[in-house]
Amino acid sequence: MSSLAASAPAEDAAHADIVSFAAGFEAWLLTRPAALVNAALPQPSTDDRMVAMRRLMGDLFAEGWGRWGWSEAFGGFGGTIMHRAVMWEGLARHGVGSMAAFEHLEVLGPTLLAMGPPEFCAQAFPGFLNGTQTWAQGFSEPDAGSDLASIRTRAVLNGDAYRITGRKIWTSWARFAHWSLVLARTGTVESRHRGITAFIVDLGSPGVEIRSIAQANGHDELAEVTFDDVVVPAGRLIGSLDGGWPVAMHILSSERGTFAWFRRCFLLHHLQGMLRRGSPGADGLLGDAVLDLAGLGALSMEALRVHELGAILGPRAAFTKLVLCAAEQGLFDWALASDPDVVIDPFDEQGLDLRTAYLFSRIVTVYGGSQQMQLDTIAKQILQLPA
Amino acid sequence: MTIVEDADDLFLSSAQEALRSTDGDDALRVLGWRDLFGSLDEDPDTRLGVLAYFRAQGRELGTSGALGELMAHPYAVALDDRRAMTATVERHSARRGSRAVVVGVPRSGVVLIDRPGHGISIVELDTLELRPIGLSDGLALHEIESDLTGLPVALGEAEAVPLRTQSVLLGRLAIAYEILGAAETALAGAVQHARDRTQFGEPIGHFQAVRHLLASARVDAAAVTALAHQSVERFPALPPLHDAILKALAGRNGRRICERSLQVLGAIGFTTEYDHHRFHSRVLVLDALLGTSNTLTTQIAVTLRASSGLVPDLHPSAEALRGS
Repeated sequence: MSSLAASAPAEDAAHADIVSFAAGFEAWLLTRPAALVNAALPQPSTDDRMVAMRRLMGDLFAEGWGRWGWSEAFGGFGGTIMHRAVMWEGLARHGVGSMAAFEHLEVLGPTLLAMGPPEFCAQAFPGFLNGTQTWAQGFSEPDAGSDLASIRTRAVLNGDAYRITGRKIWTSWARFAHWSLVLARTGTVESRHRGITAFIVDLGSPGVEIRSIAQANGHDELAEVTFDDVVVPAGRLIGSLDGGWPVAMHILSSERGTFAWFRRCFLLHHLQGMLRRGSPGADGLLGDAVLDLAGLGALSMEALRVHELGAILGPRAAFTKLVLCAAEQGLFDWALASDPDVVIDPFDEQGLDLRTAYLFSRIVTVYGGSQQMQLDTIAKQILQLPA
Repeated sequence: MTIVEDADDLFLSSAQEALRSTDGDDALRVLGWRDLFGSLDEDPDTRLGVLAYFRAQGRELGTSGALGELMAHPYAVALDDRRAMTATVERHSARRGSRAVVVGVPRSGVVLIDRPGHGISIVELDTLELRPIGLSDGLALHEIESDLTGLPVALGEAEAVPLRTQSVLLGRLAIAYEILGAAETALAGAVQHARDRTQFGEPIGHFQAVRHLLASARVDAAAVTALAHQSVERFPALPPLHDAILKALAGRNGRRICERSLQVLGAIGFTTEYDHHRFHSRVLVLDALLGTSNTLTTQIAVTLRASSGLVPDLHPSAEALRGS
């Protein structure tokens, strides 16, 4: 069966079966397509990485592999999140270092398609899949980080359009994005999480200003995005009016849950690459990281299964996120302990990639909801400790 | 939109109920536990049932010969020996080297002694000199003091090797579940204490420092649970190192869960008036069998660095993704 599957083109209906898809995709990877080889090169700058990843996504879409796992209604070939899990696992194993802006396919893609306007999604989503139109996610604000319900960016209905004014910060990949999901206040400030709506904003609209933020790891995918009376057609809502909070929770369930599977694929790629330089003196750290990577594998697999069944993890996504933090930081703790060159003398482009990844691992306990917020979620919603 | 909850495990609750009303060996009989061995390889639900007993035994601090019986199973099948048989469980002593441990209350019958490098011997239990070891957790443990050199060999080393792999795999799975059961019960006690105990005029569970200790412990338990369930599902097609990884994760996280629970309990948790010490002791004792978490963690790293290829578990196949 494998040889048949391996020779079948991507659009072959047999690939609805995950084993057939995996065999076919692996065979394609083994032909070493130029876009793959290019995306597997070290890409020390954020811009270069985006160029390489857009090209790869374009080829994956054109060949058909990148369309599996997404509904036919939105430009896909059908199948489930398991197809995407297999695809990204293969890409990571063949040297692709990260998803870049395409991590939002997994973070906000499922929510967009489940709760966004179907006609808009049918028209816009294929552009995300083929790499031409990426997305960003406008959640945090200067005065609303962990306390997301206190956002102040405002949307006011004026005729048949909303006008959005406010400021978002730490918005990953905004500089490269065509679209952004933006959480804005449609109720009073006192309405807290009940008065928030999720909008789809064209970042090319007049009044949008994007300022990239240089990060401590040498990258600059983060940005501050200012909205000054930006016009958004009234129909571009995800979820209902004042119903932005469940949209945000749905997204965070992916960002903290299923996304860990995809991130783990890249961690394993790093582990594989660094094994030869592992120092015997750091074996305890390596072993600990492997334990956490194994726990993460099982937890994120559960998350994929739950997602496949059409459910969401809810507060349990905090488990996956926190074990991801432990695994990622543990892995790079080991890398640094094995070889101090990781930070002080990266030597070549591969070394630079590793240093960037090491430094990024120091902040994984912050993005997507800080470690302390995750622990609070578990204490309150799972252990049911009195608030 | 459905939000998932913990799966309710029927076998787990019946096993706990049985352990509350009778001793461990009798509970195994009441549950028909040994009858499940026949389909261990074929049916994941059966495996989950067999292993859920150990989680229940950890939760209820039961004692039984279940571990040795389960570990004897692969040998008994190979030898076509239908006698009631218990396998010894290996532990390493810094002073005395490899030791053979009989788990559970010793009863009459035969003991299967595995001596790596020397094959398998089968001897009558009452011919052995046993010395009790262990801690205050209620698990009966006896170390064999008799000189084992020169015992007649029932199965040579070459034949023993693959069976030993299966036996140790089952043993490590079982111990991981029992550690989980004991640790999660220790945690439940600490969570209850955080609700009840008042200081500065409010329950200590209001304090973030306390909440975070307990939540971290809950994360540790979730990781063990997920990996243990995944192992049961994929058994027996588990990649190399998998059993060592699971046992080490259970031991490390289990100890950490108990330590955090003890910290929340405060001094009362360090007394024999409160039952925390028994669950904590159970975890410590189990961590010492079939490779401590510290030893295994280092071994995993050494093996991984020595292997030029990929460790299969780190790159699961599409079959594993599909859960077939």
